[in-house]
Amino acid sequence: MEITVFVDNFANLFDETPKAEIGETTNFKGLEEWNSLLGLATVAMVDEHYGVRVSGDEIKDAQTVTDLFELVKQKSAGNK
Amino acid sequence: MFSLRGKTVLVTGASSGIGKQICITLAGQGAQLIITGRSTERLSETLQALAGEGHQMIPADLTDSALLAELVKGLPVLTGVVFCAGVITYLPAAFSNEAKIAEIFKVNYNSQIVLCQQILKAKKIAKGGALVFISSISSQLGVPGTLLYASSKAAVNAAVKVLAAELSSQKIRVNAIAPGIVRTPLLDTAKDIMEKERFDNAEKEYPLGYGEPADVANATVFYLADESKWATGNIMILDGGYTLK
Ligand SMILES: NC(=O)c1ccc[n+]([C@@H]2O[C@H](COP(=O)([O-])OP(=O)(O)OC[C@H]3O[C@@H](n4cnc5c(N)ncnc54)[C@H](OP(=O)(O)O)[C@@H]3O)[C@@H](O)[C@H]2O)c1
Repeated sequence: MEITVFVDNFANLFDETPKAEIGETTNFKGLEEWNSLLGLATVAMVDEHYGVRVSGDEIKDAQTVTDLFELVKQKSAGNK
Repeated sequence: MFSLRGKTVLVTGASSGIGKQICITLAGQGAQLIITGRSTERLSETLQALAGEGHQMIPADLTDSALLAELVKGLPVLTGVVFCAGVITYLPAAFSNEAKIAEIFKVNYNSQIVLCQQILKAKKIAKGGALVFISSISSQLGVPGTLLYASSKAAVNAAVKVLAAELSSQKIRVNAIAPGIVRTPLLDTAKDIMEKERFDNAEKEYPLGYGEPADVANATVFYLADESKWATGNIMILDGGYTLK
């Protein structure tokens, strides 16, 4: 799993926020556009691209995009 | 009032949540039940909780047409059917692809309507019988993330109206109950995807709080009983006042 690909997949979920504003260390819930529908989109994107389920509470506990990436990486390793 | 003595009722989704409570309540009012769901283990638990004797369980995945046909073959002539099997998903529109549409509609719409069709074809619903579909208030709202779930339930609402008109000549009544949020295992999906905190806070939007399975079960008794003989084609909103605002 590549973090750069993950950041790209994640940034693609946003419609207003420029891609350049979303990086590995971005505190994504601090972004103006962040809302509950983007939370659902994150769950759906992770399911579609990585085949694992993350919960709303896990997203809530993550601070940065890297935190999310680590969560997904850990879960997909557990799936193998 | 509202006795179901002498009624023979099939209930889908009987292994959990609202469907399970519907079975318990209907049996309490004297109905004979045939209960169905996928999990044999949880169906047995429902069966054991039923008052009275002679109830029967027929486990079946209703998306499997062979199992569905087998179920219908084993049915006696019914005086009522409660269509309660259903699944939920929360997906933004951009992720509601064809496979996901099929996944949700297969259970919430296709399986219930095909079951109804086969029961009618086999003439296994008596004149004067009643059909009750468990819809959802989301079929009439615009809650983000519920494109597929809400549409599948809206399709059920439309079916209820058409069925009510078609079957009126046989005095068969067809109604839907559209509940707001009721605490059941179905909501574990919602709680998982949302955030527990947001889910709990959302209860404040309900003037009478979230519902209990018994609230839906009691309304089902009404639609199955002869006392509601003039009620057909209704979509009953049952939501603790949620849509008043
Ligand atoms: N809870 C709510 O807030 C709420 C609100 C409005 C409407 N509703 C509706 O109420 C109904 C019951 O919901 P619930 O909350 O009681 O959910 P639940 O506890 O998850 O029960 C769902 C039932 O549907 C059955 N089912 C699912 N897929 C099936 C399939 N392929 N074949 C046969 N049976 C299947 C399940 O059987 P197994 O478990 O044995 O697989 C279970 O008995 C649903 O139609 C739901 O949309 C619920």
